[in-house]
Amino acid sequence: MQKTFPRSIDALGDIYAFSEQIMADGGIGDVVRFPVHLAMEELFTNMVKYCPDNANDIQLEIDTRDGGVAVTLVDVDVDEFDVTAERGVDTSMPLDGRVPGGLGLHLVQQMVDSLEYEYHDRQSTVRFTKESG
Amino acid sequence: MFTIEFGDNGEILCSGRLDAAQCARAEEFLASVDGSSTLDFARLEYISSAGLGILLKTQKRLVENGAGLRIINVNNHIHDVFRYSGFHSIFEIEAG
Repeated sequence: MQKTFPRSIDALGDIYAFSEQIMADGGIGDVVRFPVHLAMEELFTNMVKYCPDNANDIQLEIDTRDGGVAVTLVDVDVDEFDVTAERGVDTSMPLDGRVPGGLGLHLVQQMVDSLEYEYHDRQSTVRFTKESG
Repeated sequence: MFTIEFGDNGEILCSGRLDAAQCARAEEFLASVDGSSTLDFARLEYISSAGLGILLKTQKRLVENGAGLRIINVNNHIHDVFRYSGFHSIFEIEAG
């Protein structure tokens, strides 16, 4: 199932409803749904945050199979930003050395089973999967 | 949908989904907290990095004043998010 969403944080509610329905219809369990929702939010908000003036919608595609989920996000007319690159997050940093922000892509990388990035003709394509169990 | 409010015993009750679209509400509420407080996550289903940022910002401000946040009744999924973020070393966290 594929759908486009406006480039706005306010679209997160509609993205949640769209993806939750597909995963419910596909019999996807909560153990998979939570990290899928989190990864979708982090990747989508990343696209919104770093290209706020881009007028193009962001395309989201979700497929379910054998209890797992595959998600693809496509963003056109954008600069390259490899979401698979090591983020260099130090999660052992004490409180006084921490600053809010920078955890989103780190969480995605930790919580999905595969994460791929392609960039050509100013189009970013991000794919991730989360398998059952 | 996300809600945040004081409970009968002074705990801060959070419920629903704390995503990037909802974090302004959490930030505004927590900015008014000025002493050690307990956040009850029994009815909080989801949190993303946007919510983590609000918790971190609040904790830094409170700890500078000798106070801090305690987070209780954390579900397994949010527990994983905290673990991957290293939040166990900077918050007092109790599982649900």
